[in-house]
Amino acid sequence: MDDIIVLDKINKSYGDEVVVQVLFDIDLSIKSGQFTAFIGPSGSGKSTLLNIIGLLEAPTSGNVIMEGQDISGLDKNELASYRNEKIGFIFQFHYLLPEFTALENILIPYWIGKGKPPKEVVGRAMYLMERIGIEQSGGKYPNQLSGGQQQRVAIARSLINRPKIIFADEPTGNLDSKTSDIVMELLKEIVREDKTNLVMVTHDRDIAAGADRVIEIVDGRINCDFTVDRMGREEVRRELEHLACTFSGAAGES
Amino acid sequence: MKFNTYEFMVAYRFLVNGRSQTALIILGIAVGVAVQVFLISLMDGLQRNLIQRTIGSSPHITIAPPLSSPQPLGIGGDAIDDYPKPLKTEESEILSWQRYGDYLDGIKEITVAAPMVNGNCYIEKGRSSFPVIVKGITLPEADVIYKFKKNIINGDLRSGGNNVLIGVASSEKSGLQVGDTFYLRNQKGTGDYFFIQGIFDLGSSAANNMVVMSLDRARTFLDITGISAIEIQVHDVFAADGLAKELRGSFSQVKVESWQERNKELLSGLRAQDTSSFMIQFFVLLSITLGIASVLAIIAIQKSRQLGILKAMGTNDKSAARIFIIQGFSMGFAGALVGILLGLGMTELFMFGTKSSGGPTYELKITLTNILLPAVLAAASASVAALVPARRAAGLNPMEVIRNG
Ligand SMILES: Nc1ncnc2c1ncn2[C@@H]1O[C@H](COP(=O)(O)OP(=O)(O)O)[C@@H](O)[C@H]1O
Ligand SMILES: [Mg+2]
Repeated sequence: MDDIIVLDKINKSYGDEVVVQVLFDIDLSIKSGQFTAFIGPSGSGKSTLLNIIGLLEAPTSGNVIMEGQDISGLDKNELASYRNEKIGFIFQFHYLLPEFTALENILIPYWIGKGKPPKEVVGRAMYLMERIGIEQSGGKYPNQLSGGQQQRVAIARSLINRPKIIFADEPTGNLDSKTSDIVMELLKEIVREDKTNLVMVTHDRDIAAGADRVIEIVDGRINCDFTVDRMGREEVRRELEHLACTFSGAAGES
Repeated sequence: MKFNTYEFMVAYRFLVNGRSQTALIILGIAVGVAVQVFLISLMDGLQRNLIQRTIGSSPHITIAPPLSSPQPLGIGGDAIDDYPKPLKTEESEILSWQRYGDYLDGIKEITVAAPMVNGNCYIEKGRSSFPVIVKGITLPEADVIYKFKKNIINGDLRSGGNNVLIGVASSEKSGLQVGDTFYLRNQKGTGDYFFIQGIFDLGSSAANNMVVMSLDRARTFLDITGISAIEIQVHDVFAADGLAKELRGSFSQVKVESWQERNKELLSGLRAQDTSSFMIQFFVLLSITLGIASVLAIIAIQKSRQLGILKAMGTNDKSAARIFIIQGFSMGFAGALVGILLGLGMTELFMFGTKSSGGPTYELKITLTNILLPAVLAAASASVAALVPARRAAGLNPMEVIRNG
């Protein structure tokens, strides 16, 4: 059971009258224990793909198989609890609940799934906060935090239920480059520590270069697929240099 | 429905977060409930007051022989010269009235059962004669019903032998005063002299046209062997109807009539009042419900971002809906509580106001049902109103939020 995610001929179209196809026959398997990065131009379908793998959105056709289980058979409620137990989300926007403190926000996924968090879980939340350097901010509300701190809270929240996979859609897209580096470093460390899988969409060449596998999506199809295992890190880095249009900064597109 | 504690937590935070909105809804519900509590208490009080005024000083149930038409206090004073001589049978008089009395004394609901005779007579004064109703009573019993003692405006209560009490109306039209002696003529044309011991004012013109004497004296004066009627008062005036029915079952030879049967118009008037107050309550409730529904719908839209996030993290549709049901119910409950206090305050203030302005005071009836009914209805309608945003919350797709920021 090496593949944590297998995608089988995923198609996705939007619209009823004017049908726009966004993803075309995506076949993909993602190995357990790898950091996978999706890159590609804006509008190429990366977020759509991530949301489908993250069980937030249903494909128009094709199957998503997670840990060997075909999830197309699950109903809305089962999908919701699957997301709650197995998946952590980090988005470009922090999406914290403004009515709750940082600590409460971190605990909410646990609370949704299992009810009032016991001491150990609160302890884990404290540990995560400490680990990513926001231990002072537990009692603060999201609007009292800086952008970097907000995103760190979101990271801790994605980890609280010890998910199998973390989906991160441009998690540093709204941060300055220095903060972005720090947050990224923390995320990678803690993912390694928790032995969870990280699947990320990014526009940042350096972040992509740090991944174990880089998949480029262009116009709803897999264009390139680089693996550090197979090619070595230097080779992947060199390949990424050529994909100018995919990264912000270089091509001026985001 | 199984609630998860975080639903209460989220509902609570949403409410606290939008506190001015929340306070406004609660106030709206409270005013609605207060108006209803006040209105119901007022209506209830007015009705009881009206009933008390109408029947408080008259019998609630009358037992009379089948051939008589038991005279409500409203009838009397007609020309009765050629009144047919009554037959002395159980048909026209209650001959075995002591037996009825013993039986009635054993019934708990009955406050008093008073034997009574009456007949139409004339006060003769010089060349003029004034029609009056002669009523023979036994004092302690009849006083419970008619409250002569309380309503004596001149003289005193001692009646017995040829000492009588007369109503203020007959006193005025005949010019007779306390201490006067007058000639009273009965239906057969014979008569006797009587002495006026006291004058009473019972508030109704018919009652004030009576000449009241002791039962025994009236029986001989009117030549009645038995009695004309047994008049009954009961503890709960609204139970009179039911008790009358029971008595009708036990007594086959007499006519039993309750105040309800004699006051059909009053009752249908009260019922019309009930209907209109019910309508008012209905519309107050409706406006509460619509108000809550619309404000909660706004909250649901304002909070759709949060709901989308919660759903992405695993909140299912029912749970999202419950968050709003909880909000609706909590606001309904809080509003109802505040409304009860407000309503009681209004009621007290009203009573204080009417009392201090010297106007007619009536006790507004504050009963548990008067308070709880509108409160429970308000809390329930708030919960029903919450179904609108709850459905919206249930149907929300988290992608709408995640996609659009
Ligand atoms: N709900 C939707 N309805 C219609 N079109 C959509 C919807 N969501 C995304 N799209 C379209 O799908 C394409 C891919 O979008 P997205 O997956 O967000 O791309 P990326 O994340 O690579 O920038 C875009 O052209 C976008 O306009
Ligand atoms: Mg995107």
